[in-house]
Amino acid sequence: MKKKYGVTLAASIWVFIFLIPLLGAIYTSLRTNNAISSGPFVWEFDSNFSHYKNAMGAAGYDFASFFKNSIIISIGTVLLTVFISFPASYSIVRLGFGGPWLLRLALALRITPAIFFVIPFYKLFTAYNLIDKPVVLILADSFINMTLAILVFSGAIKEMPLEIEEAAAVDGASVWMTLRKIVFPLLGPGMAAVAVLTFLFSWSDYLFAVVLTSSEATPVTVGAANFVTSYGIRWGDISAAVCLSVLPPLVFATAAQRYLVRGLSSGAVKG
Amino acid sequence: MSSTFNRERRTAGLILAAPLLLILAGLLIWPVYLGIKTSMTHDVLSEFSTYGVGLGNFKNLIKQPNFWLSLRFTLIYALVATTLEVILGFALALLFDRIFPGKRVLFSLMLVPIMIAPSLMAVMFRLILNENIGIIPGFLQKVGLHFAIFDQHNIFTSLIILDILEFTAFTFLLSYSALQNMQEEVYEAAAIDGANKRQVLFQVTLPILRPAIAIIFILRFLDSIRTFDSVYILTGGGPGTTTQTVGIYIFKTAFIYGDFGLAASAAIVLVLILAPFMPFIIKQFNLNQTGRQ
Repeated sequence: MKKKYGVTLAASIWVFIFLIPLLGAIYTSLRTNNAISSGPFVWEFDSNFSHYKNAMGAAGYDFASFFKNSIIISIGTVLLTVFISFPASYSIVRLGFGGPWLLRLALALRITPAIFFVIPFYKLFTAYNLIDKPVVLILADSFINMTLAILVFSGAIKEMPLEIEEAAAVDGASVWMTLRKIVFPLLGPGMAAVAVLTFLFSWSDYLFAVVLTSSEATPVTVGAANFVTSYGIRWGDISAAVCLSVLPPLVFATAAQRYLVRGLSSGAVKG
Repeated sequence: MSSTFNRERRTAGLILAAPLLLILAGLLIWPVYLGIKTSMTHDVLSEFSTYGVGLGNFKNLIKQPNFWLSLRFTLIYALVATTLEVILGFALALLFDRIFPGKRVLFSLMLVPIMIAPSLMAVMFRLILNENIGIIPGFLQKVGLHFAIFDQHNIFTSLIILDILEFTAFTFLLSYSALQNMQEEVYEAAAIDGANKRQVLFQVTLPILRPAIAIIFILRFLDSIRTFDSVYILTGGGPGTTTQTVGIYIFKTAFIYGDFGLAASAAIVLVLILAPFMPFIIKQFNLNQTGRQ
């Protein structure tokens, strides 16, 4: 069979176009300050990786703490989202809790814009003195992501053969035992899809972060955007900071690509 | 036995759904109440006291030209970006719908924009578009093209191109999944009937996938109506208010100008505009789940 290198070439060109922003950032982050200020196509390799060292703390930016906040917020959101959505989905799908209404509510919420919740959340968390604490973003991000998680989980639970659970019930297993010994282990792929999507979307959150944090709990998204306005001339350091910021979700989502695709295409809506 | 069994299941159902119900009470019902209450309150940051104004904020909102402009901009932006992204995403999915050398790696790389936060993508754009150090203005200058990226007349085109670079990966992925679900026999039958590639695409593939493409379009459209991060970081809604999305209008009204009441009423109007889509989405998802191809 004739190999289709023409298709490979066409696909490569499109991939290159889509990756120009990322490649541009990597390119700038690896050049010396001297090269950057001399013009966009002057190449002088910065063998010290000084921009990366600066971004991670050498130049006194808070970037390292933004990074830590993003990790705490994203992992916390994944855990809380699973804790809320997995049992609730089982309850809705298999135990008939709430009839069809809870699932419909989840779907309706999925297309309600996050901006609608920004003002009430701001009022609510200000009243309880919780502004600028990571837990606030974990709560807000979990709330936004749980609808997607419920959709993915309930889809996965519906696909599981009911017979196994029925057999377990006939053998006298309680709901709890069935859930722990049968459903949970079988739900691996759904769990992975929820984990990778939730991690991705909570890492990507900007709107809640910009409203609900001021300095202590600031994640990389807001940190990087502020970086541009406050250190506008230090393009090398900014590039390095952005490259580092996209790394964790990129590595996680690429490793779990199969589940990402599954989650996104199972009727899910991107947040 | 059966009645205790059922009671056990009911209790278990309630206990399992309890975390969800708590979150819904605390982060949905209470905030929705607060949002509606704020929309009916004169609540301006610089003034000490707040007081009820009924529908006053809504009446005031209708008279704000900037609100209508932002609504118009958002709809046009969403419509243009979505149309182009659906077409390009589907075309690229057709390109990938075959075996070719390097497909796995290139497919993974196609998905990379999905994994990058829109706000971080916007920072990268600022970097490559910067007039002094950016590679894009540098390149345009080299080839002798004069295109001021952030100029008032070009900003819309620039933002659309950026939106395409960012979100086509999403329409591509969903189109590709839809193509994978096509039955092989359909193509075989078309081949037996002597259809050429063009005929297969326009008379077989596209008609079969029309519902799937419609869903992709609506999902992407609803998402682009909510655009905030990328445009806000790139232009802040400017020059002037030319690129102000509804999201940016609400955000600025509340957190820059401090008028929470007006912003809350604008947020409610936005939800009301999106509300007619909700039954459609619900129906669509129910179909997907029961009638999985």
